[in-house]
Amino acid sequence: MSQAGFFGLFLVFFIGAHYTGQDYISSTVQRFFHFDPLLALVTLVAARLVYASFVFALITVVATVVLGRVFCGWVCPLGAVHQFSSFAFEKTKFLRPPREERASLAWKYYILIIVLAGALLGLDLAGYLDPFSFLTRSFALSVFPGLAYALSGLKSVFYALGITGTGRSISQLLENWTLNETFIQGFAVGILFLGAIALNARKERFWCRYLCPTGALLGLLSRWNVLKLRIDDEKCINCGLCTQHCETQANPYPREKWRSGECVYCETCAAICPTAAIGFTLNGAPEKLTNVSNVDLSRRRLLLTTFLGLVAVPFFRLTPSHKRASLKLIRPPGSLPEDKFLAKCVKCGQCMRACPTNGLQPALTEAGPEGIYTPMLVPKIGYCEYYCSLCTQVCPTGAIQKQTIEVKNKIKIGSAWVNKSRCIPYVLGKPCIVCEEHCPVSPKAIKLIEVETKLPDGKAVVQKAPVIDLELCTGCGICENKCPVVDDPAIFVTSVGETRSERNRLLLQVAGETGQATDPYK
Amino acid sequence: MNRRDFLKGLAAGSAALRFGPALLGGATSPQAAGPHLAVVEGESPAAITKEAIAVLGGMKRFVRKGDKVLIKPNIGWDRTPEMAACTNPEVVKALVELVQEAGAKSVTVIDNTTNQAKRCYVRSGILDAVRSTGAAMPYADETRVKKTALKGEWLKEWDILTDVLEADKIINVPIAKHHSLCRLTMGMKNWLGAIGGARNQLHQNLDRAMVDLTAFFKPTLTVLDAYRILVRNGPQGGRVSDTKLVKTVVAGVDPVAVDAMGATFFEIRPQELLYLKLAQERGLGTFELEKLRVEKRKI
Repeated sequence: MSQAGFFGLFLVFFIGAHYTGQDYISSTVQRFFHFDPLLALVTLVAARLVYASFVFALITVVATVVLGRVFCGWVCPLGAVHQFSSFAFEKTKFLRPPREERASLAWKYYILIIVLAGALLGLDLAGYLDPFSFLTRSFALSVFPGLAYALSGLKSVFYALGITGTGRSISQLLENWTLNETFIQGFAVGILFLGAIALNARKERFWCRYLCPTGALLGLLSRWNVLKLRIDDEKCINCGLCTQHCETQANPYPREKWRSGECVYCETCAAICPTAAIGFTLNGAPEKLTNVSNVDLSRRRLLLTTFLGLVAVPFFRLTPSHKRASLKLIRPPGSLPEDKFLAKCVKCGQCMRACPTNGLQPALTEAGPEGIYTPMLVPKIGYCEYYCSLCTQVCPTGAIQKQTIEVKNKIKIGSAWVNKSRCIPYVLGKPCIVCEEHCPVSPKAIKLIEVETKLPDGKAVVQKAPVIDLELCTGCGICENKCPVVDDPAIFVTSVGETRSERNRLLLQVAGETGQATDPYK
Repeated sequence: MNRRDFLKGLAAGSAALRFGPALLGGATSPQAAGPHLAVVEGESPAAITKEAIAVLGGMKRFVRKGDKVLIKPNIGWDRTPEMAACTNPEVVKALVELVQEAGAKSVTVIDNTTNQAKRCYVRSGILDAVRSTGAAMPYADETRVKKTALKGEWLKEWDILTDVLEADKIINVPIAKHHSLCRLTMGMKNWLGAIGGARNQLHQNLDRAMVDLTAFFKPTLTVLDAYRILVRNGPQGGRVSDTKLVKTVVAGVDPVAVDAMGATFFEIRPQELLYLKLAQERGLGTFELEKLRVEKRKI
């Protein structure tokens, strides 16, 4: 119940992360993330930065030390998804192993160690399997886009049936909630999410049991908690149903073997017990209940995984993106310099959810292997809205630093270029000016000059054609987005000149030059 | 009676009013006693709007009881009113109120925006202004367009907003702005916001597209907001210093005449604007202001 409530809260926050009519999002949609000790720890270690909001993670830490993994069982919204789907798959045979098998619970601890070892060297891998990142990303890049697509389909059905009123209500809702429909990796992210859910058919709460590094961290913290399993020996008939149905292999029976670090307090055992002999009490077992039954992590394996985590780092870094900026990698405004950005971004996709134009997309190869799922602006899909700074407001780790709109408007995320061999006035000698018209800065960064074009018949035509004032261009990409040469726009943005980078620069600011010389109206 | 029938009636019954000066050289007819253009200046955008309509004979002259009325402001950009990129919200609201008072069955305010629709609706102040009147203000989207034969000289067919197609009367409420291709965007250019499709391709022959669209839509009334006009960096500006306070509203039946009057605020002679010339040649109205009865008031 509690978990369903938190899942609902997650949804409310998630849906709330868009342009509601206010420039600033009042509710802190990213707050969930701040209770996540894994993200807090990895961000702290990998980026070597203290991010104050993560103080909330201490609440989770204290709660876990005292009460055990109640977070996993009662709070975690991804846990809720797994709990529910485990329940739904209870009777299915699909994927179910023919014999009861018990894979090692240690996997998630090894995953955790790889993540932590990587973090030591500045590599942030937490986001790939962290439950909040995984869930938010899956929802932002595939579940909600899928939903929006389905709603569009439904809308067409209503239209076909002549029920235009309902059809129109749906389309107004899509606009009101800004449900982005297009994501480059939407399919892959969706398949991974469905896969993670399907695994529950193989084993209840498969993710929580074997994969979740956050669960592993909380497991380590909860070995000595005081909220203990209690079995009433007088009622217990030693049937073993509790252990058989335990969602996380915490082994409630026999009680001496109960693994306090695995128990997520879902209370399935208490519910299934035919004699209602099972309960949880604070310090209900002061006698010699030790942690002997917790997961054994062999020293050799621990060393091996630490080693793996460390040696993985150089492999992640064998990419040109650390040598030279990638031209397509246009980071959201307010992003930290690339190295810091990669160390802080947890790939949750919240910024892509909030982007009103759908322009923020998950990177695949543009930022190297450690940058998969990190946000980048793809102007062909959507541009950076001039008066919007929502992406900077929803970032849970400060990889994109919070910006007021006034400050954001001065940040340059890239530079626009004209491809004169495709531009309509330059090539066809016909009027266009669409890019200039849309340029949001004042004075405009796109100027029009008269250009003479020779047409195929040899005649010369003079037409207004765009040239770019790079001092004024912010790289928002609306010119590329609106260019009528749709397939490969005749005006396009690349990352060069971005404010955040000292290396990816174009115009040197020399002392005495203000860069505002082109503004005659100031 | 639908809009088209009404317009035919209007054209027949008051041909002198619409085309009289151009065609008949100022011959008088019973209705021609009223002014062709109302130009009202004053401090309150709402008051000058209402006064301008009163000068033309009141909204009842244009809207009948039970009409479905569509009001088409320019809400194209994610800009606040002091940037003069979108129609003044008070002007829009005043018109909605007048139309409602005239007994319209329903009033819809819509624009196919350039920036994100919701941002434009909200930050222009128009959504807030219209909401208090109870008029509908839906977002334009791909379900609200219909491929329609325009029978234009250049545009044969295009996607048109169904809300506009279904309306009995349409009132165009543009704002006067600088534009680097057609020089000034006012009423005729505002029709690019009542259509869907790849609008950015119309720029290759923008003036003729504007004429074809104006000929198709045949607004019942055009009310040009020149309270704060955009004199440079158009059509969206970006700074208050790009704007100029003129504190005027121009209203009229002739869409060409209204735009011609608007041009004077920019110190541009109407005959310099190609689309006005083309529109007059097409018989959509006249830009020759000296042949029109213009009533100027200051309140």
